[in-house]
Amino acid sequence: MSVHFERIDEYRVRIPRHGDMRVPGLIYADAQMMEVIATDKSPEQVVNVAHLPGIVSYSLAMPDIHWGYGFPIGGVAAFDPEEGVLSPGGVGYDINCGVRLLRSDLTREEVVDRLEDLSLALYKAIPCGMGSKSSISLAKTEVDDVLRGGARWAVEHGLGWNEDLDVIEEGGRFAGAEPRKVSDRAKDRGRPQLGSLGSGNHFLELGYVAEIYDHEAAAAFGLAQDEITLLIHSGSRGLGHQICDDALHTMIKASAKYGIVLRDRQLCAAPLTSPEAADYFGAMACAANFAFANRQAMTHFAREALQKFFGRGPAQLGLRLVYDVCHNIAKWEQHVVDGELRRLCVHRKGATRAFGPGHPAVPARYRDVGQPVFVPGDMGRYSFVLAGAEGAMRETFGSCCHGAGRRLSRMAAKKLARTRPIFQELREKGVFVRADSKATVEEEISDAYKDVADVVDIVHGAGLARKVAKLVPLAVVKG
Amino acid sequence: MGGHRQIEHTADLAFEIWGADLGELLQEGARAVVDVLTGERPPTGADSRDVVIDAIDDEDRLVRWLNEVIWLALGEGFVVDRAELETTPEGLRGRVFGRAGARDCIVTEVKSATYHDLSIARDGDRLVATVVMDV
Repeated sequence: MSVHFERIDEYRVRIPRHGDMRVPGLIYADAQMMEVIATDKSPEQVVNVAHLPGIVSYSLAMPDIHWGYGFPIGGVAAFDPEEGVLSPGGVGYDINCGVRLLRSDLTREEVVDRLEDLSLALYKAIPCGMGSKSSISLAKTEVDDVLRGGARWAVEHGLGWNEDLDVIEEGGRFAGAEPRKVSDRAKDRGRPQLGSLGSGNHFLELGYVAEIYDHEAAAAFGLAQDEITLLIHSGSRGLGHQICDDALHTMIKASAKYGIVLRDRQLCAAPLTSPEAADYFGAMACAANFAFANRQAMTHFAREALQKFFGRGPAQLGLRLVYDVCHNIAKWEQHVVDGELRRLCVHRKGATRAFGPGHPAVPARYRDVGQPVFVPGDMGRYSFVLAGAEGAMRETFGSCCHGAGRRLSRMAAKKLARTRPIFQELREKGVFVRADSKATVEEEISDAYKDVADVVDIVHGAGLARKVAKLVPLAVVKG
Repeated sequence: MGGHRQIEHTADLAFEIWGADLGELLQEGARAVVDVLTGERPPTGADSRDVVIDAIDDEDRLVRWLNEVIWLALGEGFVVDRAELETTPEGLRGRVFGRAGARDCIVTEVKSATYHDLSIARDGDRLVATVVMDV
């Protein structure tokens, strides 16, 4: 299917409504980025999402959009509570996959000559890789408590600090979690995995603040030039995947039952008013809570490892959580549409919430500057810290990009990487990579991704978020 | 004669799978998944498990079957070698054979078979399927 594009301005491209599309598509991309985006099927997926019942305003795509299943990765769609639908494919398999950032009082000078040992210490501390298991042993009876409690459960069990909860989206606990809506198979998949990184594009990255663009926001986030940071990217592991699998099966039947025409089965959905949607929402919230607890547990392991490595206490290291934000989720939120405040179900699949200054959901300490947004790049270049802006509230239901976006398939990346000494190349750039699997590192080489600086420049230019700081990696742990 | 090959997909991984009929297609699908899970070193074994799969049509049967193979491997450490499956109005049922306690054979994670770009079509005397996997 060929998709017709109309450029609106430097950063916005419209896909005009045609056929049975209920709303137009809107892609945030400059001319150069659009050339890359147009090479895969993601614009077609933006069109497919625009056909879903009850979608409001636009089927949106961030500049890191790439071909996913059903919804594009980098897609955002909001649905009316009466006419709209809930789609597991609009959330993704890794429910509440997300990123958290910790800052520290350590400086680049203090770590740069110790990276070989430091990267090993972090690698040993964080269970990672294929089917990785945690040192946390959850009894069968405890799983439901994690699914209800999220990061709060973790903190109550000694895996973190109370103040961490102030700076996690939803306070680290999604309301509405219903463990009885989660299959035994999903619980069994998740039980040994709490506090583990997993594989694929998940990572733990120790880096430093290389550049500050917005000094007021950087100060509010506790970020200073040359200071050490820690990014953790992971999600709900096997538990989230199983919940998504289970829900897709139910929703395919529900789509037929409610007469929802699907252009791609992976877009299967049920009306937001239906019992099928209520069941999925209850299970999805459980997976979201598992993911919050998972990132919280890894934070605890990383803090312990760094305290031991540097022989300093937590206060001396200053390893405070800046924020934790999800990028695969569906949430009930209030947004102004055509001048009217409406309650909507916002699906973000590979897109980050980016609420602007003054929003009550933004932690009080950041409310003047906007919600922190983390946009990881690739392990050989850099990542960015942004602050949510007013433009996101006006145009994208408070959303922006979540990463660099793949430009090579995993197969193509591996083929390219096998011709090169990847670990040595990264070391020459000053990055020590520790990985459970060489193949994972090959799939995740810099060449596999768009330049995240280009992605971030677009959301900054479009007014969805403001650039705050650039982080450069020093030590990376991969699955 | 059934077979399978990996094809490129920007997001993750996709398989083209073929066989004379649905039964052979499902067997080849399992082989494709197990090849990736085990780094093309699938173990053999005589252990067995009963399977019952709820599915609404052949596309659903393929996805649900592949996800069962993934669950057996990652959830239970049982790597499927072959299967005796029967199509029923409710989906599939039958018995799988392979090696239990084979977690050590699994070197790559394949998380799910997806419904995206899923197709099963007859091509001459072969049934050919395309299925995208989430890895």
